[in-house]
Order: sequence, then structure tokens, then C-alpha cells
Amino acid sequence: MRTVNGDSRDDWGRRLVRAWMVLLGLTLVSVGAALAGGTNNRSGLVAVVVALVASFIKARQVLDHFLDLRRAGPGWQAVFTALLLTILGSCLVLYVIAGWHG
Amino acid sequence: MSDVDSAIAEDGPADWGVLSDLPGNPLMWVLIIGELLVFGALLIGFAVSRLLHPAMFHAGQASLNLWLAGTNTLVLITSGYCAANAVRARATAGVTASRLWLLAAMGLGGCFLAIKGVEYADKAAHGYGLETNAFYTLFFLLTGFHALHVVMGIIVLGIVAWHNNAENLETGAAFWHMVDLVWLILFPLVYLLR
Repeated sequence: MRTVNGDSRDDWGRRLVRAWMVLLGLTLVSVGAALAGGTNNRSGLVAVVVALVASFIKARQVLDHFLDLRRAGPGWQAVFTALLLTILGSCLVLYVIAGWHG
Repeated sequence: MSDVDSAIAEDGPADWGVLSDLPGNPLMWVLIIGELLVFGALLIGFAVSRLLHPAMFHAGQASLNLWLAGTNTLVLITSGYCAANAVRARATAGVTASRLWLLAAMGLGGCFLAIKGVEYADKAAHGYGLETNAFYTLFFLLTGFHALHVVMGIIVLGIVAWHNNAENLETGAAFWHMVDLVWLILFPLVYLLR
């Protein structure tokens, strides 16, 4: 069977559909978690963690499957993971600190 | 073949050092890392400002329309899926199928901008603008800067639809995925964490 970028033609198509479904599903989960707390109330810690973890997984899906970063070496994988964790982790810490002061 | 072409052919592909390990055009990855750093710094700045002005940010975020932003997230994700399929179609099905996927991606990009326009018009109708307070300054700067990237991305997709070789297409689609990637980080931090 002919392969492109390490995938058979069918595998490539299925992989993209799977990534798309994960992205849509996680978006609905994170919006649902935010709405569950009411749009005028402060977000609960669970909703915050759900939103940030979903954001991290979604970013990895785009990097790995749409941008094909999965074909890069472990060093580059680690660089992008560290970059995402730094941005999202910093915002989580700042959110928690704001909660203590609020 | 000219002397320059002969020299390039003899030298083989350019050596990009560690960037050579990345798939596609190395310069596009430099741009992706740069954009992640710029938007990451802006989003951390947004979180710091929120820490300093909790009441202002709570009121500002409560005024945002979660439904419009959530719909826009689904639209942009689907647009990214179409762009990824354009690359796949170019390798497996041919130029026409690839162009149709790109047109779908561009159309959804247009939908994203239209929904963003509705959101901005609503804010303007309620008297909120760039100078209302620190929250709205950062909100409009972050989302407006991203929307400018969407406009650029649609233009880039149009160019690679026209000059539809595999390398151009992969590079243009990568730009679009970068725009998608930035929104996936921006959306929860601006709209969901209240």
C-alpha cells in the first residue's frame, strides 16, 4: 500500500477526522464546564483546570496531526510541550493567586 | 540550468541545523514559535492585569458572549481540519480536490471574521471600546491582533490555492494552523476563566 508521511491514504484521512473530533469534543466540554458555573459567577477551580487541560490537549492535537509535529524528534516535542505548559501553567498560577486575593 | 541552479543542485537541500528535524518549511516553524511567544507574553500580561484589577476583569469577562466565542472556536477548528485535508488531498487526490478543501477553509475563516464582527458591533453598541478600561484594551488588542492573523491567513490560503504545489500548500496550511493554535490558547484564557 502506498504511504504518504508514514500513513496510508486511509490512515491519514482517519487520523485527521479523529483529531478534528477530539478538538470539537474538548471545546464543548470546556465551554460546558464554564457554563455549568453560570456566566456571571467566578469560575470554579474544576472548570479552570478543565479549560486549561483541554486547551493543552487541543494545542497538541493541532501540532501533532495538523502540523505533523509527531514526525519531529523528541527534542522538538519537548520544546513545544514546555512552551505550552509555561503559558498555560503561568496563567493557572496567576488565576489561583487572584482567587486567594479575591 | 544556470550556474546558480547548478550550484544549488550540487549542494542539495539547505542545511537548517536543528530546524531540519521539523516537518515542512523551517522558517514557518520559526514564525510559529515566535507567534506562540508573543501571544503567550500577551496572555500572561492579561492574567497579571486580571490579578491587579479583579473586579474590572470580572465585569468585563461577564459582558463577553461565550456562545459567539464558542461557535467561533468550532468554526476555526473545522477550518483547520479543511486546511489539513487540502494538504492530504494534494498528495492523494489531486489539485482540484485540494483547492476545494482550501476554499472551504477560507470560507470558514470568513465566517470567523463575520462572527467576530458581530461580537465587536455588540460591544460598540453597549459603549465598550479600546479605551473603556484595561480589560477592554487588552481584549480588543488580543482578539484584534488575532483577527488580523486570520485575515492574513485567508490571503495566504488564497495564494497557495492559486500556486498549488505541495511545498507552497504545506507552508500556507501551516500558517493557518498557527492561527488556529493561537486561538485555542487565547479562547479559554480570555473567555472561559472568569
